[in-house]
Amino acid sequence: MKKSLFINAGIIALSLGLALCPLGGYQEGIVILLCINCVAAMGVSILTGFTGIFTLGHAAYMALGAYTTAILTVRYGVHWFPALLAGGLIAILVAWLIGVPTLRLTGDYYAIASIGLGEAIRLILENWQSFTRGARGFPGIDPYTTRGSSVAVFAVLTILMFNLLDSRLGRELRASRDDGVAASLLGFNTPRSRMKALLLSAFYCGIAGGLLGGYMCFIQPSMFDMMKSTELTAVVVFGGLGSMTGTLLGSAAITLIMEYFRDISQYRMLIYGLLLVAIMVFRPEGLLGNREIWDFLPRFAKGRRS
Amino acid sequence: MNFTLSTLIQQIINGLSLGSVYALIAVGYSLVYSILLFSNFAHGGFLVVGGYACYFLLTQWGFNTAVSMAGALAASGLTAVLTERLAYKPIRERTSITLYLLIASMGVNIVIENLFVITVGGRIRALPQSTFPTGVFELGGGVTVSASDILSLVVAAIFLVLLQLFLTRTRWGLAIRAAACDLRTAGLMGVNVTFLIGLVFFVAGLLAAVGGIFLSVRYSLYPQLGSITTKAFIAAVIGGLGSLPGAVLGSLILGLAEMLTAGFVSSQMRDLVVYSLLVLILLVRPAGFFGRTASEKI
Amino acid sequence: MRKFVLCIACIALLAVPALAADTIKVGQLAAVTGDFAAYGTAEWEAVKIAVEEINKAGGVLGKQLELIMYDCRTRQEDTVNAARRLVEQDRVTAVIGPNGSGLCIAAAPIFNRGRVPNIGTLPTNPQVTVDESGRVRPYNFRICFLDPYQGAIMAQFSAQDLKAKKAALLYDVSSDYSQGQREFFIRNFERFGGKIVADEGFRGEDVDFRSQLTNMKNSGADVFIYPFMGKSLPLAVKQARELGIATPIVGGDGYGDFMWEIAGDALGDTYWVSHVDRYDPTLAGFFESYQAHTGTECKEFLNGVLAYDCVYWLKDAIERAGSDDPEKVRDALEKTSGLKLMHCVLTMDENHDPKDKDGVILRCDPKQQKALFLTKLRPE
Repeated sequence: MKKSLFINAGIIALSLGLALCPLGGYQEGIVILLCINCVAAMGVSILTGFTGIFTLGHAAYMALGAYTTAILTVRYGVHWFPALLAGGLIAILVAWLIGVPTLRLTGDYYAIASIGLGEAIRLILENWQSFTRGARGFPGIDPYTTRGSSVAVFAVLTILMFNLLDSRLGRELRASRDDGVAASLLGFNTPRSRMKALLLSAFYCGIAGGLLGGYMCFIQPSMFDMMKSTELTAVVVFGGLGSMTGTLLGSAAITLIMEYFRDISQYRMLIYGLLLVAIMVFRPEGLLGNREIWDFLPRFAKGRRS
Repeated sequence: MNFTLSTLIQQIINGLSLGSVYALIAVGYSLVYSILLFSNFAHGGFLVVGGYACYFLLTQWGFNTAVSMAGALAASGLTAVLTERLAYKPIRERTSITLYLLIASMGVNIVIENLFVITVGGRIRALPQSTFPTGVFELGGGVTVSASDILSLVVAAIFLVLLQLFLTRTRWGLAIRAAACDLRTAGLMGVNVTFLIGLVFFVAGLLAAVGGIFLSVRYSLYPQLGSITTKAFIAAVIGGLGSLPGAVLGSLILGLAEMLTAGFVSSQMRDLVVYSLLVLILLVRPAGFFGRTASEKI
Repeated sequence: MRKFVLCIACIALLAVPALAADTIKVGQLAAVTGDFAAYGTAEWEAVKIAVEEINKAGGVLGKQLELIMYDCRTRQEDTVNAARRLVEQDRVTAVIGPNGSGLCIAAAPIFNRGRVPNIGTLPTNPQVTVDESGRVRPYNFRICFLDPYQGAIMAQFSAQDLKAKKAALLYDVSSDYSQGQREFFIRNFERFGGKIVADEGFRGEDVDFRSQLTNMKNSGADVFIYPFMGKSLPLAVKQARELGIATPIVGGDGYGDFMWEIAGDALGDTYWVSHVDRYDPTLAGFFESYQAHTGTECKEFLNGVLAYDCVYWLKDAIERAGSDDPEKVRDALEKTSGLKLMHCVLTMDENHDPKDKDGVILRCDPKQQKALFLTKLRPE
């Protein structure tokens, strides 16, 4: 009880800090981008870090969220907030349709299938020109993603995520990741918990996509390609599989590093590639391993390390 | 649409020609997968190294075609071995999760691509026109085959036969096949696993270089050339990762599927068909046409 | 002693902003990595050359120009981030580039909210300067002509000069640039009494067009229309000739000298709409200094020339504004009239687009391996 209070208070304090500290317009943009990237990374983290299913196609759920929100707000004049939720729900729906047949696949094969699915969704958006304007992109989205709105969404989703991880669902997921057979013997329905994780992750990515649309005011299917999906998974691995705070740290670190190196433009992608390799070579367990930040504090670590 | 026999034949020729290029690359993917059970996305990078090595040996240092090609093969092979030693080996020693290798290989691919962007620039280049035969042959009824089609088909076939001979007729080939069955047991039986893995990467690098030279002849040379390997990778999966005949068959199927879709359905559906085929195959037969089934692997 | 320190501190405080304001900051967005890196790199080099020339000649309003370039990787996301940084952190006077329409449209809200003028180098889509509801974007300008214009020139040239009746199109579905030109070509070609007999698409990263070309060949067209850019262009030309197609090919301003290396003699009987004639003697000086600066030839000459002229246009506007204040510079850009630049005489119309620019038709000559000036056209 005490721990969850500590976590919730921490998240609220962090969000208030992000929302209220005086920043220039450019820094504000970075804060928005941080929030968006963190929400998407949390989504991938619950799937990859907590159920062990690697995905290389989650950018597609971002695309679904982004397009749903954009089309609802621009064409039908819906307020951005319900539109954003609708984006998340569409992502859930598609994830469910996809998850039923594909979640049977294990290991590399799910990852490969997710490449195919992710690209297929992107290509459908691209070919459905009458509805999405196709590869040319969808312009004229209202700039509804402000610092306030993005930080608020981030805070709510982060609190939700940490409380879910602390609930029965979180234990179920961890149990089925660590030992699927043992978990099912304990009465956990492993396939169902995998599905729950997929739906949850699709929702987070959908919301992140919707926010991204409002930040960019312009979306295009090519923004959500395999490169973006890889980035999402790489961020989660970097932060540490099975560590939600690690995911947040990793996401923040990569976002800031990539932004910092914009000056030496030609070297940016080189650095990104080297970073990916270096993380895998030197710290494959990620920044925090599978522990959360507070596990490093002696007060909360008691009883966990036994 | 324009369904006539000569169009059909022309599209089949186009498809086979594309498939033969995919095959050279897909075999490299499958070879590495058969030993280490991971999809080496850096393969595209090796291919770019081969293409540029050939280009610079030909144009800057003025070597003849044969020497340049040999140099390109060596360059790609060494890059592959170096990548394995510097990036993959430490990961393999620390963890058994192959997805880490996969992400690292994507990183290597990005590094190689951008090294070329920085050093030689993003400009699109082409191997000199005189290097390889050009020309068009009429087969009658308006159906044509270009010299580069025939050349790529022949060279792909030669290299695939050579590879098959190497795998079946030499001691190291036997060791590779043994390791593909079970890497650890092969090690216990006295196979020098480190050397063996290096050898596999070297061979994969050689094949990548051949693919790279071909792609540069047919489609020009630029740092992002390696991205075409995504399709070859899909071909390898369709044929069954780890199976060499599967990789070849998958490539031809994919090449034909692409060209026939573009020719008779819609050119925009082409990639959608490719990716749907991938997902469908994975669902119906996850191990592909020739792959070992999942249960055999556990 | 204390007073002295205070004095020094005051001087230092005054001097810092004075020093900082000593230059006029010019931003640039160019894709120097990614698929279209070649075009972006040419623009970057050209802008560097122009800035250096201006600075050597004493700068603008007595101040030196300071160039800040960010890579936009031909990706909207990166373009928006980089634009934000130029506007909100670096506080530049104006921004030159990027070259793609999609990129300019994505970044336009940032420039208009931040009130910093943006000059597109080669974005030919109408929506770059006029938003979807038909309002002029106050802070967006461009130096090139537009897709409707280009599509009209291609149609007019095909119908009148090549006497074509049936056209087969190949276009890039993933590009605004390509779709826009296609649309305006079809509209105009039909106006001239022509008929579209094949309309085939491909996606940006595709390298093999033979199945589409086979369909186009069987359509019996007497001209092929190639409204796209990049490496696809020479590849589609080469593959068409390999399939035994001798039909003349007409394309947009995607032509670059790099195409000879790839397609070689296959470029015979191809025609390209362009903004400038590569061998116009007035441009020779620029190409020489480009060669001297970079050690390579400016193969993407169009990008080089237009980016170079953008800097001089901006210089003129800052001088007329008498200030480096972005809003005053914007007003001056809007009032540009009869400005003599290297490649044209520039006048802005009410939509912030150049008025009355001639289109140039280039014809590829395999003997000289060059695209030679054929004719000048203005749409009827």
